[in-house]
Amino acid sequence: MELWPGDRSMGSTLEIDGFGPLPLVRPGSAAELGEIVRAAASNGSALYPLGGGTKLDLGNPPTRQGNVVDMRALNQVIDFPARDMTVTVQAGMAVASLQEILAHEKLRLPIDVASLRSLTLPARREGAQQSTVGGVLATNESGPRRLGFGTLRDYVIGISVMNDEGREFKAGGRVVKNVAGYDLCKLLVGSLGTLGIITQVTFKLRPLADQHALAAIPCAAESLEELVNRIHGSRTRPVALEALNPSAASVALGQVSLPLPTGHWMVIAGYEGNHTAVEWQVRELAKELGAVTPEVRIGDTAEPLWQALIEFNAWPETKVTFKANLLPSATAAFCAAVDRLAPNTLTKAHAGSGIVVGHLTGDWTRDRTAAFLAVWRELAGKAQGRVIVTRCPWEWKNVINVWGPIGGDAWLMREVKEKFDPHGIFNPGRFYHGI
Amino acid sequence: MPALSQSTLLFDRLLKIVGPEGVLSAVSDLVVYECDGYTIEKHRPDAVVFPTTTDQVVEIVKLCGECGVPFLPRGAGTSLAGGCLPVGGGVMISLTRMKRILEVNCRDRYAVIEPGVVNLWLTNHLKPQGFHFAPDPSSQGACTIGGNVATNSGGPHTLKYGVTVNHVLGLEIVLPDGRVVRTGGPAEDYPGFDLTGVIVGSEGTFGVVTKIWVRITRNPEAYRTLLGVFETVDDATNTISDIIGAGIIPGALEMLDNLILQAVEAAFHFGFPLDAGAVLIMEVDGLEAGLDADAECIIEIAKENRAREVRRASTEAERLLLWKSRKQAFGAVGRLAPSYCTQDGVVPRTKLPHILRVIQEIGRRYDLRIANVFHAGDGNIHPIVLFDERDAAQVKRVLAASHEILDDCIACGGSVTGEHGIGVEKIDFMPKLFSPDDLAMMIRLRSAFNPEGRCSPAKMLPTAGACIEQSKAGRRAAL
Repeated sequence: MELWPGDRSMGSTLEIDGFGPLPLVRPGSAAELGEIVRAAASNGSALYPLGGGTKLDLGNPPTRQGNVVDMRALNQVIDFPARDMTVTVQAGMAVASLQEILAHEKLRLPIDVASLRSLTLPARREGAQQSTVGGVLATNESGPRRLGFGTLRDYVIGISVMNDEGREFKAGGRVVKNVAGYDLCKLLVGSLGTLGIITQVTFKLRPLADQHALAAIPCAAESLEELVNRIHGSRTRPVALEALNPSAASVALGQVSLPLPTGHWMVIAGYEGNHTAVEWQVRELAKELGAVTPEVRIGDTAEPLWQALIEFNAWPETKVTFKANLLPSATAAFCAAVDRLAPNTLTKAHAGSGIVVGHLTGDWTRDRTAAFLAVWRELAGKAQGRVIVTRCPWEWKNVINVWGPIGGDAWLMREVKEKFDPHGIFNPGRFYHGI
Repeated sequence: MPALSQSTLLFDRLLKIVGPEGVLSAVSDLVVYECDGYTIEKHRPDAVVFPTTTDQVVEIVKLCGECGVPFLPRGAGTSLAGGCLPVGGGVMISLTRMKRILEVNCRDRYAVIEPGVVNLWLTNHLKPQGFHFAPDPSSQGACTIGGNVATNSGGPHTLKYGVTVNHVLGLEIVLPDGRVVRTGGPAEDYPGFDLTGVIVGSEGTFGVVTKIWVRITRNPEAYRTLLGVFETVDDATNTISDIIGAGIIPGALEMLDNLILQAVEAAFHFGFPLDAGAVLIMEVDGLEAGLDADAECIIEIAKENRAREVRRASTEAERLLLWKSRKQAFGAVGRLAPSYCTQDGVVPRTKLPHILRVIQEIGRRYDLRIANVFHAGDGNIHPIVLFDERDAAQVKRVLAASHEILDDCIACGGSVTGEHGIGVEKIDFMPKLFSPDDLAMMIRLRSAFNPEGRCSPAKMLPTAGACIEQSKAGRRAAL
């Protein structure tokens, strides 16, 4: 029986977290996707949406047989009225391609997305390595510039989604200011494909910056907190404030020839704006810091360093990666505690936003990881935050709770899931609270 | 509405929860609460309660559940769309006595407040520390932040700083069954669905928000405020697109057309040219460094677009007068006509010249004067239709003209509300903006929070068989 009207020429399968093999289907249109969903609904199977495949480690293993829905054939620009500073694209478009198109009009989506090759998916097709728009929305990807520009929730103004009945619904619109109806865009961003499959999205855009710069300051572990606090309270307005522990600094900044005294942390402030404003801020920061002279990269010379900071979150050579969200003021102490307990961890913080990403290197076992995780979760809890494990061997996931203990609103999230996907078609079991 | 004996019981029990100072039930008191800034429709609540704690809200909501009466939250009642209209009566929960600022943390850039805190109080409270709450609706001296959360309010500075949802980190909400849920919190990126993001803008149809974690924003170090004078609306609009196209995101870009200029000049004597086609208030803010470069660039762009002149606000007093003229423009309209009605459409920014021509044409066709003052940078128009509410035939024309304008906004790919909300006023437009499938998903979402529909009934989403008869009349409004 012809179940899948999509392009089946790949004839391939994919394992997600050791579950599978799951056959891939590749819809060529929203209508075909609708048929796929209706077929899944009628035969009681699950659907696992797939973009560039760079984040398949995130979440719990799948719970039910079904198909992987490769969205990358839906990769067209639907509308790009550059002077309105909005763009509408299909969800399977690579973010890198989108940024390229926007850059022609001196525009951008100011969200940093690591472009690393997929760790899980064999690179069998051109472009298979790239994060897609739908994928970054589902996982709510962000990077250093989130301090100055916010996250995806601040840029999605319209969304179209295939629901559990194979019918496409939309929310929002194509104008930058709109309060008609519930803002389902917010609900879909970061929902890990559990409420439906995103087919199309409209972003509001920002202009490319005239000028940008990064100012890097090495510091000893004991002065990290003070340095971060000083930059935070500076007259300057950094759009990024990153802190890297010595291991992360030596690994991630190895290629950008930044002078790094052994055993030192690296704090990096990022600035964007017109030339006058950026140059003034770089000078002002140096003045405020007094004795320490920041190593400054400005304009094109800053680009490799920005890239290194962005790519870090997807560092490939690690078995275990965690992400903590904390009060920004607690970031330095949290990082220091991680360093004390697990000295080889590569740790980098978006210190202005309280987000810490750590890659565990060395010989980590499941039980040792679980034990450390418990300590970090307790620490994070004291700073009003949580710790999730964004990557670990799937075999560990029956012991390691990757999303962490649930909060008081988890039952309500499940209620929302039940309403949107009562038969559990979309990514069942993979998200927070087993959603 | 409950039967009399039952309502007596209800009042008694409400009294027990909040005390005699916390309940209004006399008709003479209730009349005040029968509408908000949208005065066309009126519904009297059966009682108004003024809780001071979350626990009291829980008890009130549970009591309403037991008695099977609807309830709805209300802030300052400045809604322009009937967001606080107690359709079907029931208990109105006024949050104005939950007005404490519970915590301010400048290091971590958040504040925790109760919903009854007036928008401007928070900003004033933060002033000594050099911070403010970024959403600044023109009603900010009266409206509450709880109300801002309900309608996802905007204001003149949304172009650069975003709307309310971009500044809300977490919420405490009492659901219709009395359960209290906290979503989000002072940190960013909590795992799970962004319930906070979807509760903001839900117009009180999910429950009663009792606590809010808001982001606070550092004040700009400096401003450059410019006034561009143009012969035509087209030139002014092109200037806006070119400024943003040059990579400058101004703090505000506000347009006033000729008719509104007449009114504002008569009221405030700012020195606006009375023969200009349109003026633009253009303000860049941020660090002192680099602001002059942006201002020069804007002046050049305005001149390229045939600006007759570009003035600079040279003193802080002049800047404040300019903003006063803008924010109180609606008040000044009283000089032009006894009544007016304002709309809240949105179009893609490049469609502004088109929609303004359409508005002019509609005005001619219906023999109505329409003034325009609006957030041009966002494409958020506020046409003000002038009329005399004593003239019934004219009132009919006003409503017909307003609806035609909104229909054209939809045809342009826009929306019927940028910041005022759907409420009851625009419920009929929802099926024009959204398909049955879209609306079905919104109903599904609401049913997760408010399954029985007892909280804020007949709001936002059109319900089959519960169509509201809208008595059409004029109204005054300010944005």
